[in-house]
Amino acid sequence: MSDAIMSAPAPSRSLRLAIAGKGGSGKTTISGTLARLLAQQGRRVLAVDADTNPNLSVTLGVPADRAMQITSLPRSLMERQTQPDGTVKPVFVADALKVVADYGADAPDGVRLLVMGAVGHGGAG
Amino acid sequence: MCGAHATVRGLLGELVARSALDTQDLVVDMEAGLEHLSRGTGRHVSRFIAVLEPYYRSMETVRRIGDLAKELGIGEMQVVTNKIRNDDDRTVIRDYCATHRLEIIGEVPYDPTLLDAERAARPPIDYAPDAPAIRALRELAARLTGDARG
Repeated sequence: MSDAIMSAPAPSRSLRLAIAGKGGSGKTTISGTLARLLAQQGRRVLAVDADTNPNLSVTLGVPADRAMQITSLPRSLMERQTQPDGTVKPVFVADALKVVADYGADAPDGVRLLVMGAVGHGGAG
Repeated sequence: MCGAHATVRGLLGELVARSALDTQDLVVDMEAGLEHLSRGTGRHVSRFIAVLEPYYRSMETVRRIGDLAKELGIGEMQVVTNKIRNDDDRTVIRDYCATHRLEIIGEVPYDPTLLDAERAARPPIDYAPDAPAIRALRELAARLTGDARG
């Protein structure tokens, strides 16, 4: 793969990657492995499992007994608030840093994992 | 939009607002499928990457994800190809990406070692750190961090 395939750089120090794909495409394997590889470069990494069929913890290497204890983020972190224009929209009302500290799980190489949770669709928000 | 996705957006927005992601990399494993896509999530990421397998339904799905991303103003999607077995796979996927203007930023070979890791319920990177697929991802990670775009 030649470097020419990469797009032109713009200034930013940290990476913010979202990885999508069909189920079974290997997106979770790639997400988890990239997170570990970045951490092995000495970088701080926050991994977020936003799949409603969450299994990023296995790819990252969170021990199974610890993975069982991971609490997914509760919906109470969001509150429906009326906007000045009269519309109602969900607003994040928790302390984000505390959420990472309280709900995050430690994975190898110092990766921090957050799991959004296997929730049903059709709910509020 | 379901509650979990709104919560992800809200959290990422707050982390950005508090500069928590200035010194920390973020890797979001997105929902399979298209329904999660919205401006809100996309606004907080700097690279939107889709994993593409060398068969038609996978490529069509990814193309639709890319179209939707563009429509929503999330920006250009980039592609990492996966499970490439041979030159035929490589050719078909490169041709498809060229036709649909999808930018390939990494190529991961088909690697049965990953299935062995899966069966053993072990992280692939620990199970076989020098497996071909892991080596390809290590090169991708190095390019991503070498490229200052983020």
